Amino acid sequence: MAYKDELTKAMELLSENEKTIFLGQSVACSGNAIYKTLEKVPVTKRIELPIIEDTQMGMSIGLSFEGFIPISIFPRMDFLILATNQLVNHLDKIKEMSNNHFNPKVIIRTSIGATRPLYPGVQHCSDYTEALKLILKNVKVIKLENSRDIMPEYKKALESNSPTLLIEISDLYDSE
Amino acid sequence: MMTLTKEELIAFEDEIKELYENAKIKAPVHFSKGNEEQLIDIFKDVNENDWVFSTHRSHYHALLKGIDKEWLKNEIIGQRSIHLNSREHKFFTSAIVGGILPIALGTALGIKLKNSKEHVWVFVGDMAAEMGIFYECTKYARRNSLPVTFVIEDNGLSVETPTQKCWGEDDANIKIIRYKYMRFYPHHGVGRFINF
Repeated sequence: MAYKDELTKAMELLSENEKTIFLGQSVACSGNAIYKTLEKVPVTKRIELPIIEDTQMGMSIGLSFEGFIPISIFPRMDFLILATNQLVNHLDKIKEMSNNHFNPKVIIRTSIGATRPLYPGVQHCSDYTEALKLILKNVKVIKLENSRDIMPEYKKALESNSPTLLIEISDLYDSE
Repeated sequence: MMTLTKEELIAFEDEIKELYENAKIKAPVHFSKGNEEQLIDIFKDVNENDWVFSTHRSHYHALLKGIDKEWLKNEIIGQRSIHLNSREHKFFTSAIVGGILPIALGTALGIKLKNSKEHVWVFVGDMAAEMGIFYECTKYARRNSLPVTFVIEDNGLSVETPTQKCWGEDDANIKIIRYKYMRFYPHHGVGRFINF
């Protein structure tokens, strides 16, 4: 099955859990490749947000405090960088700084922008996977290099008690 | 909710002060004093099931939220004055300035989505209230009718920096021009398939 189809299937699986909620930009409104993989997610489970990346990451943590499992979507990894304050200073550290009182379960979805057929420039196709692996201690960082990894990794993220950051590669969308 | 008197709040902070002065707390402690009456008044409206989000200076908020004094004292001795957190009491703090704002916002959104009755209370300093994220969070809360109250605790200082002075104290009429137009093309491209 193609990479994009596996992502669509994984999103459908996540949406079947009553606690999940999807939020970000181009989640309920069209505008990027990720949007098309949400076609099987009920519209009632999607919250379109303004461009407020750091606030979005914090909101995702707050939603988890109320029992939701947020799927927080950042269409490009370049944009996720704007959320690193909440990602590094809170999501990654809350378990430790709260002496295990809080353990937010947030699933973050982002993408390394496509370079084909159009090259979008350095601000739209960066890959910070290794840097994030170095800086994050408790958030699991998973790069989805093969379509066969997509479903198992999202299943693991859903079952995990820790936050997970899943990084997809837009150039692979049409590959098997 | 059970409340404490001004004298009880001061007595607790004095006890912590004595421990600190005797080197029993090997971590930074940010003491409160002088805002007891304001906080007692605000907490009259805070219910047991409400959430309270606070900062590095949170002893009074914790006590007024109903957190046990002995537990609180032990947490402070255990080097967590700066990170006092209790899931049971729906009490969360952070030492990153402005950091609690979007977390509180998300919690309020969660309450609204669940049609629950709880309320979220967020306490921030006057510098946090000047940050861009404060603007984002209050705007989103207002426009989505979220159950949240933002409380600005204004002592005029951020660490030792005078908040308003460092922002600049003029109130000049700067120009901001906004014009409206109808977009002709899609976000990118020309709106039809091109084979590259």
